[in-house]
Amino acid sequence: MGTVKGREPFRWHSTISYKTVPKIVTRGYDTTELVEKGYGFADVIFINYQARIPLIKEVKMLHYLMILCLDDGMSSSPSIARFVAKGHNILTQSAGASILAFGHAYGAFQAFGRMLDKYLERAEKEGKSYQEMAEILVKENRGSLTIGVSNLMLKDPAAKRIFARADSLDLSGRYVAFQREVVKAAQKASKEPVDLDMLGAVGATMFDLGFTPEATWSIAALARAFGSTAHAMEEEEREARVLFGQNLQPKENYDGPADRSVPSLKDRDKAAKPGQAKTLDEWRKAFDERAKLGGSGWAIVEEIADPRKLAKVKNQ
Amino acid sequence: MEREPLIKRKSAISYKTEEKTVLRGYNLSDLAEEGYTFCDALFVLFQGRIPTEAEEKMLEYEMGEFLEHSMSPSAAAAISTMGGRPQLPAAVAAGVMTFGGAHGPGAAHGYMLNKYLERARVEGKSLKEMGKILVDEYMDAGMPVMGLGQPQHIHGDPRAMPTHRKQKELKVDGVYLDLQEAIEEAFNKRREAEGKKTIAVNMIGAGNTALAELGFAPNAAWGIGILCRGFSCACHAIENMKKGHAWMASTRERMIQMLDLSMIVYDGIPDRPVPSQEEREEYAQGELEKGEYKKWVL
Repeated sequence: MGTVKGREPFRWHSTISYKTVPKIVTRGYDTTELVEKGYGFADVIFINYQARIPLIKEVKMLHYLMILCLDDGMSSSPSIARFVAKGHNILTQSAGASILAFGHAYGAFQAFGRMLDKYLERAEKEGKSYQEMAEILVKENRGSLTIGVSNLMLKDPAAKRIFARADSLDLSGRYVAFQREVVKAAQKASKEPVDLDMLGAVGATMFDLGFTPEATWSIAALARAFGSTAHAMEEEEREARVLFGQNLQPKENYDGPADRSVPSLKDRDKAAKPGQAKTLDEWRKAFDERAKLGGSGWAIVEEIADPRKLAKVKNQ
Repeated sequence: MEREPLIKRKSAISYKTEEKTVLRGYNLSDLAEEGYTFCDALFVLFQGRIPTEAEEKMLEYEMGEFLEHSMSPSAAAAISTMGGRPQLPAAVAAGVMTFGGAHGPGAAHGYMLNKYLERARVEGKSLKEMGKILVDEYMDAGMPVMGLGQPQHIHGDPRAMPTHRKQKELKVDGVYLDLQEAIEEAFNKRREAEGKKTIAVNMIGAGNTALAELGFAPNAAWGIGILCRGFSCACHAIENMKKGHAWMASTRERMIQMLDLSMIVYDGIPDRPVPSQEEREEYAQGELEKGEYKKWVL
């Protein structure tokens, strides 16, 4: 179908692992040798993600953080896992659904980590202290729900205990230090009481353990998925299955267009309204009109990278 | 901020207040503060109990061992999914969701063991006898005996026998391991009698047996296995995201990429002209009458 001349045949290329008939090797270590020599689950997570044997205290901290990620009551991920389980399918689908619940609001570890990296880099470049840069971060991200500070943990000490544990294990680094300043800056700027939340505490500590924002995102989502599988099984055990077409949606919960008769096909042209805009004003008007219809998607505006703000590269 | 529950359910797993998150009666933060491991917490989650040290060690061993398996359907799915550059959770979920009837059928193996353990109990048979009955019933029916053989580790999965041994070393062996070993013995005796090569236990046979022995229900054990593998799937996906090319079809790379056009082998219906709309009805009717299309129907 295409030309292959002079090129190597396709092979799975990986810097992480390989396997042969007699062994499986991750980052250079035989996985059976690892566990035979007493390394455990969390050790292998460090090895896989960071290609290094962790310090014992780092392993302790990772276990600590993953326990806190394990369950959160009936939040998004176990709830979606339960909904999937109601269809009576195999457990892997509920587990996958739980992971898919993680995004840039719920469990926003990638976005949060990138944000911290961006401001830490700026602090270095601009010669600003963490305190100064935290104030800038809070100002520039006003209204954001994912700066690791919110009103979610005002009565629950779990988030603050994470930082205390990181301190006691001597594992707090620049991320924890900076996040502490972000908390102070947010508290100063907010009229309502706010404090370090689980995103901020788990995220900053994971970053100080050397995990990237992406690694942290996936580790947290997977840790939570263990809890979600228990919820999925409980749903199967205790709740009824749901059939296609079973659930009703009461009219009082509907606020879309009022009931109307379907025009006959021969009257179609009279009823149909073309969707094309011929001028930009028409387009804008149609855009705003469409945005009023829930579920149309027009009210959602996603951020995309502004190429004007990116460094210039050579022509491709 | 709205903090009402997303769905209203009675649950025996956990609750969460403004003050704390409680799993099976334990404050999660206290559990972590006390120094329990994530593996300990999985016992609390799935079984509502704190495990013994030996049980925790066995789970650590198994999860450490199962986490990475290089190129398996799960890692391949995670990498392929990331090739389209969705968000990372999509690739991780794709990896996890590859597990099914062929790739790590953990729950099914667990249900099989439970069924035959119960039969041994009710029928007053020894586990050795029941292992042979299981093997004969499966093989007579032409069904594969779960937990044996691995398509890549053709001389035996390097993780499997050490897992059996570790169970004994940590003294966390019991009826599940007894039955599993009886299955392995009966299976290979029968194969030898039939003049066939022996086949070793795989990680479902060994790992799932250990998880069952640790008290995990078949689906809980499966969940632990697939999610444990999810971590390495995530690594492979992130590697592709950060170091690989999207689409995996670039012709500028030294090595032919997975989705290079040259990788496609087509042996379907030869190229044919599209009938015009005027010809359509007659053409379609002809196809229905000839029925050749049926061999391509999926």
